[in-house]
Amino acid sequence: MSTHTHDDHHRPVDADAPVGYYEVMETAVRELLIGKQLIGPEEIRRQIEVLDSRTPALGAQVVVKAWLDPKFRARLLTDGRAACEELGISFYDDTRLIVLENTDKVHNLIVCTLCSCYPRPVLGLPPDWYKLKPFRARAVIEPRAVLAEFGTHIPDDIEIRVSDSTAMVRYLVLPLRPEGTEAYTEAQLAALVTRDTMIGVVQATIPRTQRTSL
Amino acid sequence: MSAIIPSREPSTPRIIKAEGEQPIFAPGDRVRITKRFPVGHYRVPSYLRGRTGSVEKVIEPAGIDNEEEGFGRNAGTKRHYYRVAIPLSELWPGYAGSYRDALHVEIFETWLERN
Amino acid sequence: MTDTSALLNRLANDIGGAQAGPIEQVEHQLEPWEKRCHALADVLDFHKIINTEEKRRGVESLGEVAIGKLTYYERWIAAFANILFQKAILTPTELARQMDLVAARSTSCDVRSDYPSVRSG
Repeated sequence: MSTHTHDDHHRPVDADAPVGYYEVMETAVRELLIGKQLIGPEEIRRQIEVLDSRTPALGAQVVVKAWLDPKFRARLLTDGRAACEELGISFYDDTRLIVLENTDKVHNLIVCTLCSCYPRPVLGLPPDWYKLKPFRARAVIEPRAVLAEFGTHIPDDIEIRVSDSTAMVRYLVLPLRPEGTEAYTEAQLAALVTRDTMIGVVQATIPRTQRTSL
Repeated sequence: MSAIIPSREPSTPRIIKAEGEQPIFAPGDRVRITKRFPVGHYRVPSYLRGRTGSVEKVIEPAGIDNEEEGFGRNAGTKRHYYRVAIPLSELWPGYAGSYRDALHVEIFETWLERN
Repeated sequence: MTDTSALLNRLANDIGGAQAGPIEQVEHQLEPWEKRCHALADVLDFHKIINTEEKRRGVESLGEVAIGKLTYYERWIAAFANILFQKAILTPTELARQMDLVAARSTSCDVRSDYPSVRSG
């Protein structure tokens, strides 16, 4: 069996250092393709703007609406992409979205063991750890240990359901709404829905500083 | 006097579906992931080869074979992907978590056999 | 005789269930070129020049050593170059010449065997 480190370190870049080999390659490829009129001169810039506009705040918006509107929730669970599009969240690629609902019986976790499939149109770009070997290798064989590293402990009578993306479907976890948030505004609820709750490595919780004793 | 014969509603013409249009498997079906080891591009992780599971969902609409798509063939016969559920305790000997824990994964129709 | 089939029929990215250490919860802001590289992937997919699955296969084809040593976006741009050659959209000579031109545009006079600094795009 082959062994490899599959390391993916980010190489820190010094602003005054010579431009790296791969940056030169990227620039050259882009300029050649534009020169041959295979891509338009503004398309890369435009797509960067598209990418920059996709952040976990969009996913939080979807989750909060599902928490507050049972009919939207039902539509979201039937067709994730169509429900996101109702909120103006366009999908710029051909992927589909299945929203995975956490319940009192099931806790969902998403992973792409083969590469880094991730619901980018609604969450933005994935964190490095999601793309690196330890998470990808271990999420499908020891999800509870993985969750423990994020401080998450799910009781044994709750199923942990790991979804491994291998094709054109992308996943988004719909976390459980924390207890004690009945009076929260939409903005307050949205602040509880972090990126990691929608990957499934943590649950949505009220931060310690916000908790009030009864 | 001849009897009036009530007209019959025309029945829906019987259609023939194209290859791949009709999913072969349905939710609840027990399936086995083929034990095949292709050279080149594949999208069925090796940890799943030969495993059995249940079909949770038929993914609609049908899609292109992503293994062929990797070589630029993005047209042609479409088939279905299926979301298949496999208990982790069956996938991994000595699995230490809950017996309820499961893996769900999309598998293309050409990789599945009825169990 | 050793069985070398796994070198061909087991991909380096096929790591589900493999042994691995703790998850370092690292994340970094993308460098501008990395973001341009990601945008390039999307634009190539949109134009049906290189689709996402071809990109994945292209990265796999770099082989285990390169995959282990190149960073995420370095793998992407290397894969794109190879696929563009295979599709006769670019030739190796064209790319080499353009890379020399890009490298030669410089605000400093640093002359090295590596590429000197260039204005960022």
